[in-house]
Amino acid sequence: MSEKNREVAGEGGRAGGRSSQSVLFETYIAELDRLRRIAAGMGLGAADAEDALQDVSVKALRQRRKCKSRDEAVRWLTKVTVNRCLMHHRRRKRFSRSAAEIIKRRTENAVEPAGTDAKAIAAEELEIVRQTLSELDGSLLTTMALRYFCGLNSTEIGQALGLSASAVRSRLREGRMILAKRLMERGIEP
Amino acid sequence: MDKSCEQIEKLLVDYADGELSPSESSRVAEHLSKCERCRTTSAALQRSLELAGIVWADGLEEIGGVGMAKERGVRRWRWRRYAAIAASILVVAGIWIFRLTPTGPKQAEPTLAEIEKEIEDSGRAARLLAATELLTEYPDAQSIVKQQYRYIVKTYPQTPSAAQAKLRIQ
Repeated sequence: MSEKNREVAGEGGRAGGRSSQSVLFETYIAELDRLRRIAAGMGLGAADAEDALQDVSVKALRQRRKCKSRDEAVRWLTKVTVNRCLMHHRRRKRFSRSAAEIIKRRTENAVEPAGTDAKAIAAEELEIVRQTLSELDGSLLTTMALRYFCGLNSTEIGQALGLSASAVRSRLREGRMILAKRLMERGIEP
Repeated sequence: MDKSCEQIEKLLVDYADGELSPSESSRVAEHLSKCERCRTTSAALQRSLELAGIVWADGLEEIGGVGMAKERGVRRWRWRRYAAIAASILVVAGIWIFRLTPTGPKQAEPTLAEIEKEIEDSGRAARLLAATELLTEYPDAQSIVKQQYRYIVKTYPQTPSAAQAKLRIQ
């Protein structure tokens, strides 16, 4: 079959059923919680996450014929969401809520309040980690958020970002060591 | 840092993630049992990941239920979106012009930042409302629609779109 005929057959096949046309958007709806996790893991605030996910949803509608399978759609959505989040990083501060604010909210929701010393240490450590995450290179933050907050393995991250699994592992090692060393500068008990 | 510590440090993340072979894993475990420095690094790796998890979870809580659009008619969606934003900005700008016109007793003047924030919020709320209205055509999206209306009311309470969303909920 010539290249042109294959294209025509492909178009006809895709136009055949409603479900095949909208697999991308249906996957978007189904995977919305995970996409929100990606935006949170990348440090976007509510307004920026809202903008980013609206953009992803519109892009998913415009390119709804792009993916034929759910797996392909998940990979596409992950990649596009990550890219949108990285675009927001260039314009706005990420992880903008301070450690004190995070702890205040956690304390309000906690059943048993922690001691003052424990809270002070936790606040200091949390601020170091928050600050480091906000300064971390986007490529390192992306792989860390996808691996440790969204629960993807190295192969899945590699497929979504167009990297090998070993390149993903290398980024994870680099990102994790940066975080750990910043914490060790403050002094951590083993 | 001696050479064996240097080698082990390179393996610590993979060790913690369970990515090493059994033989490499027991080599790291053996080293950790003898080396306080590497134990400290290992503890810091663990602790920093726990704290990162707290920061991420807090962000997720803030993000809540954002991110909906509709399935068909991107062009229509875009026009509605722009029209809603424009209308909303006009309403807010009109209100501010009215407030700034010296007709009654003088009120405290808003700062440019306040005006900008209010216009920005109105635009965002209007855009969300437009997207949500389009979703109402889909029977299986009704719970998401309600969730979106509640989100608009809660997040942008002072905007015209929040008032409309409140009406839709009722």
